[in-house]
Amino acid sequence: MRNSSRFSGADTAGLGRGPLTRWLPVLLLAPAEPVGARPFESGPGITPGRFLLRVIFSVRRASVPAMLLAIVWQVGESAVPVVMGLAIDRALATGDAGQLVLWLGVLVALYAALTSAARLSLRLTAFAVQVLQHRLRGTLSTAVLHPVGGTARAPDGSVVSVMTNDVARLSNAVILTIIPVSRITAIGFIAASLLATHWLLGLVVLFGAPVAVWSMGVLSERLSRDTREYQELLASTVGQATDLVAGYRVIKGMRAEAEATSRYRQASQETLVGARRNAGLLGRFLVGSGVVSGTFVAAVMGLAGWFAVDGQLSIGGLITAVGLAQALLPQIQAIASTSIPNLAGARASSARVLDVLRDNATSTAGPDDATRREVTALPELDVVVPSVSGPGVTIRVEPGELVGVRAGDRTAARLVEALLDPRAEGGVEARLDGIAARELSPVEYRSRVTVAPHRATLFSGTLRDNVAVIAGAPERVDAAVRAAACDDFAADLDVPVGEGGNRLSGGQRQRVALARALASDAPVLVLHDPTTAVDSVTEHTIAGRLYGVRAGRSTLLIASTPALLAACDRVVELPDDVPAPSRTAR
Amino acid sequence: MSGASAVPETAASDAGLPGLPVASGRETVREVWRLSHGYRLRLAATGVLGIVSTGVDLIVPGAIGFLVDRVQAGTADLATVLTVTVVMALSAVLGAAGTALTIVLATRVYHAILAALREQLVGHAMTLPQHLVERAGTGDLISRSSDDVTAVADAAPAVIPVLTVTAFTIVVSLGGLAALEWPYAAAFAVVLPVYVLAVRWYLRIGPGVYRTERTAMSARAQQILESQRGYATVLGFGLAERRHRAVMTDSWRVAGQSLRARTVLSMLNARLNLGECLSLAAVLVVGFVLIDHNASTVGGATTAMLLVLRLLGPVNQLLLVIDTLQSALASVSRMIGVVTIPFSASDVPARAASTAVQLDEVSFRYGEGPRVLDDITLDIPSGQRVAVVGVSGAGKTTLAGVVAGTHLPEAGKVTRPSRTAMITQEVHVFAGTLRDNLTLAAPGATDRDLHAALEATGAASILDVLPDRLDTLLGVGGHPLTDAQAQQLALARLLLTDADLVILDEATAEAGSTYAGQLDRAADAVLAGRTAVVVAHRLSQAATCDRIMVMEHGRIIETGTHGELVDAGGVYAGLWTAWEAAQ
Repeated sequence: MRNSSRFSGADTAGLGRGPLTRWLPVLLLAPAEPVGARPFESGPGITPGRFLLRVIFSVRRASVPAMLLAIVWQVGESAVPVVMGLAIDRALATGDAGQLVLWLGVLVALYAALTSAARLSLRLTAFAVQVLQHRLRGTLSTAVLHPVGGTARAPDGSVVSVMTNDVARLSNAVILTIIPVSRITAIGFIAASLLATHWLLGLVVLFGAPVAVWSMGVLSERLSRDTREYQELLASTVGQATDLVAGYRVIKGMRAEAEATSRYRQASQETLVGARRNAGLLGRFLVGSGVVSGTFVAAVMGLAGWFAVDGQLSIGGLITAVGLAQALLPQIQAIASTSIPNLAGARASSARVLDVLRDNATSTAGPDDATRREVTALPELDVVVPSVSGPGVTIRVEPGELVGVRAGDRTAARLVEALLDPRAEGGVEARLDGIAARELSPVEYRSRVTVAPHRATLFSGTLRDNVAVIAGAPERVDAAVRAAACDDFAADLDVPVGEGGNRLSGGQRQRVALARALASDAPVLVLHDPTTAVDSVTEHTIAGRLYGVRAGRSTLLIASTPALLAACDRVVELPDDVPAPSRTAR
Repeated sequence: MSGASAVPETAASDAGLPGLPVASGRETVREVWRLSHGYRLRLAATGVLGIVSTGVDLIVPGAIGFLVDRVQAGTADLATVLTVTVVMALSAVLGAAGTALTIVLATRVYHAILAALREQLVGHAMTLPQHLVERAGTGDLISRSSDDVTAVADAAPAVIPVLTVTAFTIVVSLGGLAALEWPYAAAFAVVLPVYVLAVRWYLRIGPGVYRTERTAMSARAQQILESQRGYATVLGFGLAERRHRAVMTDSWRVAGQSLRARTVLSMLNARLNLGECLSLAAVLVVGFVLIDHNASTVGGATTAMLLVLRLLGPVNQLLLVIDTLQSALASVSRMIGVVTIPFSASDVPARAASTAVQLDEVSFRYGEGPRVLDDITLDIPSGQRVAVVGVSGAGKTTLAGVVAGTHLPEAGKVTRPSRTAMITQEVHVFAGTLRDNLTLAAPGATDRDLHAALEATGAASILDVLPDRLDTLLGVGGHPLTDAQAQQLALARLLLTDADLVILDEATAEAGSTYAGQLDRAADAVLAGRTAVVVAHRLSQAATCDRIMVMEHGRIIETGTHGELVDAGGVYAGLWTAWEAAQ
């Protein structure tokens, strides 16, 4: 037996296999390299239903064999009572030892077949689900989360739950092409076997089973709708706890512990009410499905009993009919309580995935090859800022210059937005070597201009991972770390920064972000208020080092702190009256 | 939310945090028993109901066996068939109803106890001395109040039927089998080792595999979350391709772990099939021998076969939820670990009735690290505004924490007013309306009070940009606020607390460019007439305070008014010259 081994040291797959089986290859474990994650199309003509179909039928090479094997598995499960009934009839009732051995052999062979089919089918199904998840996630990642020519408007937080929960639910829908098909086939097999025993029994099942599935499906529909509502309620309570704990220091600082706790209690009690109602509905479903299936099976058994009394059915036939009727139950219940709700959930997720894909679709109306133009390696940057009161201002950064811009918060934000996304219709226009940036391909633009936004985000990993985010020479990294005055805490760059940099203080995070910008060695670097959380002495140090580290490249520094602006070649003052963008703000 | 669990600058280099305690098995049982107070009678009744319903459910196989024997003996007629059918239908319906009721009752008690536990968890976390939580990091607390609560709630549909009906079904079926045809039960017992070995194998492999899968999943979610939060950074640095690859690598790692987990499950499934096959074969062999010796009938063998078939489903269910059950229990003990953290009254910093602040030879260090505050003695009379200045790492934030009671001094004594409030540069906008955000600090405040506070801190203009004014939803998923607006909101909230001692730890630092002055004026309004400690990096802010303390290496090296310190020509004078030159 497989589980008798104590020598799991050599068990490379980590599946606890014994010495007899561990040399066998484990089929369908994930290959080391991701399989080709071709994105799904989400054109305007596609409805959620069609998108769902397209997704679940896109892995036929795994799902079709999985379905065929699942049929063997489920029909095999339904055949168990038949074999047992026949064995009782042929061997036990007759006392024939040869028959006993024969039927024991049949039983073992049946189990060997169904268990192998089940194993392979389960793994193929899991493989199909995972491949789909990966492909869907890739689709969302390139289209929404990491668009190369993206707009400056970030996708909202819902993209995270869509990329985890909805993608999982939608991918699970592929199971609908596998398991329910096999269950329906098994019901068909049961009906056919009963037909062979007595035609009326077969007919009753053929007509009764769909009715039973349908009525239980109706019952489960309401339950699963309410369950989704309850889960949302629970998620909001859990979200509130997360929110309160995330604001722990603020609450402690305000001495608002009692109020925070009482607010949480209120939300928790509302969730409890939801849980109670959901339990009640679960009870109603269980009673309903128990009544439907119990009476149905009792009727089939009673009918078989009558045929046996009447002499139309042998004892063996009666036992077989009883066993088959019993095997019918789990199939009906599983379709009604699992497959039907899964279909509803998958449709809803399909709609959400499509929504996110369309909401954040980046316009493909980029410049085509005819209009593509070349800019120099270190281009001259012009930023044209319109003004309500006057002719507007053009900020020019000559190659190698460090130019400061003093602007109000709103204007500064507009400036950064325009530089992040030169195709946005914000009124502010960026030009490289006199060519409007919107005429350039996103890849070419970003290879020249790097923008370090004010609200800097660090990524999980070490300090080095964050600073050397664009592979650069090690000495550049060291120079950048020094220039950003990180020396006091960044002696060892291989220290992890924690999730989102949470092991660092606000000031430290900001300095690491600055070091990252300086290490990028971008031909044109745009910095926006890079030292607001840094104390004045350190800010002074940074101001002194900034010029040297950016020597030979262009830098546009949007800031108001005098210490930094003093380090610039020249400073442009912007009035705070840029006309409102024509695009509606979101 | 970013930086919610940031550690103070000097502690940043500390390696792994100790984490919050986890309750032992015995503590968990004791605490769950304590929480079940008020539900015990209901639980007992539920148990009885569960046993009775599963018993009723077992009438069906018995009735079938009876019918088979009667048919074989030729003593059955239409009346027998009708009676048996009605009995079967009735017992199926009654059994289903009883089972459903059992599950409903048990589910309700389960959720009631879970609600009580999660409320105690959050309540207790809020009242715990802050330094205990800071030491463990708020990340751990967040995961216990979210992931663990969800895990326990989600386990309910799988775990409750198993704990009530399934377990009873196994016991009652085996009992029924033993009572009707005991040799069949004995045959089933022979197969038991197969199940025992399967469970032992699964418990050795399964939990680890699932844990790895979940870890990979949370790493993947974290990558996605960071890309979403850092969207502007990704765009500005042209990191799209790189971040995409990172997300996809993590996505495929999850796929690999999930496939491994499903493989383990399919292997368990195969072992359960082996158990099934052997049980049924045993029934046939035993039945054959018994009937051969006239010790059983064909009807008896049919009943036994049906009973064993009925038993197999629940046995499989039981084994399949073992992992869910285990991880739910682990989550419960992690939650109870927080609820049962002992803290004595001495852990709660002592407070005085006066509105002055006194520090008497106070020293502090983070864990086993170096001293961050070294023998600090300080006296702030009622109503005085004191500025703390110095370079990063001088100990300013730690001093603010000790004054506020966030950190307990290693040595020395702190006296402070009971009504103390502090804000740091860490702003957090709570999910909820603007009104909710403000009244958090002052539950009884009227809308008029809120408007007055917003007016006083210059935040009234925020109201005009919010679509639903005080009722606008803010925070996660709500209307976004700029850092400056969030900080103004925090100052308005601080004003509403009406504290005697106010501590601002670089509270106006995150303000972008032009709003700095505005925030300084808002801070002024909040501090008016109160004892205050201001950790400032803009020296213009320090210059307006009654007294300035300069810190270096955890000590106060200069103290005096702005004029005195500038005249003295010391460290502060140097800082001031540098600051002025830059203006």
